[in-house]
Amino acid sequence: MLTKGKIIEQINLNNNYYKIKIEAPQIAKEAKSGQFIMLSKWKIKELFLKRPFSFCHIEPNLGTFDILYKKIGKGTKILAESKIGDSVELIGPLGNGFNIPESVHKIAVVSRGIGVAPLMPLMLESKKKGIEIYSFLSAQKENLLLYSNKIKSISRETFYTTDDGLKGARGNVTNFLEKVLKETNIDVVYTCGSKRLAKHIKKLQKEHHFLAFVSLEEHMACGIGACKGCVHNTINGLKRVCKEGPVFPVEEVIFDD
Amino acid sequence: MTKKVSLEVDLGPLHLKNPIMPASGTFDIKNTLLNKKQLNELGAIIPKSIAFKEREGNPGPRICETDCGMLNAVGIPSKGVEYFIKEKLPLLKKANNIIIVSLTGNSLEDFCNLAKKLSRIKEISALEINLSCPNLNDGISFGINKDRLYQLIFNIKRNISKLIIAKLSPNVSDIKEMALEAEKAGADIITIANTLLGMAIDVEKQVPRLGNYMGGLSGPAIRPIVVRMIWETAKVVNIPIIGVGGVCCAEDAIEMFLAGASAVQVGSANFNNPYVMLEIIKEIKEYLIRKKYSSIRDIIGLIRR
Repeated sequence: MLTKGKIIEQINLNNNYYKIKIEAPQIAKEAKSGQFIMLSKWKIKELFLKRPFSFCHIEPNLGTFDILYKKIGKGTKILAESKIGDSVELIGPLGNGFNIPESVHKIAVVSRGIGVAPLMPLMLESKKKGIEIYSFLSAQKENLLLYSNKIKSISRETFYTTDDGLKGARGNVTNFLEKVLKETNIDVVYTCGSKRLAKHIKKLQKEHHFLAFVSLEEHMACGIGACKGCVHNTINGLKRVCKEGPVFPVEEVIFDD
Repeated sequence: MTKKVSLEVDLGPLHLKNPIMPASGTFDIKNTLLNKKQLNELGAIIPKSIAFKEREGNPGPRICETDCGMLNAVGIPSKGVEYFIKEKLPLLKKANNIIIVSLTGNSLEDFCNLAKKLSRIKEISALEINLSCPNLNDGISFGINKDRLYQLIFNIKRNISKLIIAKLSPNVSDIKEMALEAEKAGADIITIANTLLGMAIDVEKQVPRLGNYMGGLSGPAIRPIVVRMIWETAKVVNIPIIGVGGVCCAEDAIEMFLAGASAVQVGSANFNNPYVMLEIIKEIKEYLIRKKYSSIRDIIGLIRR
């Protein structure tokens, strides 16, 4: 559906990273983790297309949801200049979202940078269901390990890597995952934010038995499956990230080398 | 008191209740937010170009936004004509009584076979021939070569009785020449125009922004070019023109009517706002009332020199 939303909170998390809270009751009611919205805060002749953003927090009862974004282009620059009470135009909720299969006891969540966003509501949902969460967070540097305290508080164990090695270890956070997989029965691994990490998870899947899902990112024009613009290569051919995704079983996705 | 104003137009023998329809490739009956009533409010429906056999289209990235528009190199993925007839046509029939089917092909033979097959379906009102398909064997599109354009339209037309719309490529030095050629070959209607060939490069990564390197530019950036082409062509042809290119609001569409278009397609603006065509229909009506016209026909081709 196409609807108006109201910005009710905007927080600059650090540097170019922001969190914005939007009031749009219908979308908040229908949204589930892993889904996204198409958003514009501009007229069509200022910027031509809406931009996709994942839900990073959903409050159906309050009629609000949060999105995380990095100020990087024209659209997010306009968004960063928003004021409380400003109106946005939204289409959503869109996409398939994450699925938590029945009888899951332990999950692992692997994120890189802002890719943590769609994993946040998934973790909260899992926590509520009594599922144990193992978190593997990776970022360029410590202050980009977004929500790390919150994640730590709901996870059984949390592992960090940063590119500069100042927090956690250096290298692939999936090396920690590999260790945990050897010692613990992880049922499902969810990942977002890095195709490199997703590729590594796909490799690990061959040795250890677990389900794995990746939330993919692509440039989108419509977000509703009409334009066929946001395709990604899979073993079943090119699939639309907005419609068949954004969440795909890792083993189906073909990652470029 | 609500004033009566008519949006009805005639594209030759094809009567439309209003002149607004989607541009091919920007609307999908299986992926639309419009409900049954809203679909029926459109002047016509045109699904994405179909090919005879299934084709996958181009690898990604397929789209990127540019200043005042976007580039696409989707490459016309199609599940083929059988799938279209079985899966999409029944939905289209329920949605609107005017269905225009856009078609693409890799060769003259390919086009003719597809047109022949579709011409047997009575619910299809017209066939729009996508002349800009760049994936031909020798890489020369029908849309930029006068003789090829003539051959294609002539050969499609002589075998079937359906109305034929020639969707012209704007990537030519003289659109009038191509339009006259299409008319001579038997086209009943012409659409001006397809996307303009363009390219964008990511200067940080130093790679093209599209997987296919080049793509079709659409959006407000191309509208003045298309308006000029419609105006130039309307003076020389005797068949109706459908205008398309960068229409985002009623004002943009009206500009094309004034230049000489009898109907207008709305393309990539649908991506931003899936309801934009309905808003445009409503606002054209308001414009006509404000300007004291009783029919949209009164403003078609008003700009003359």
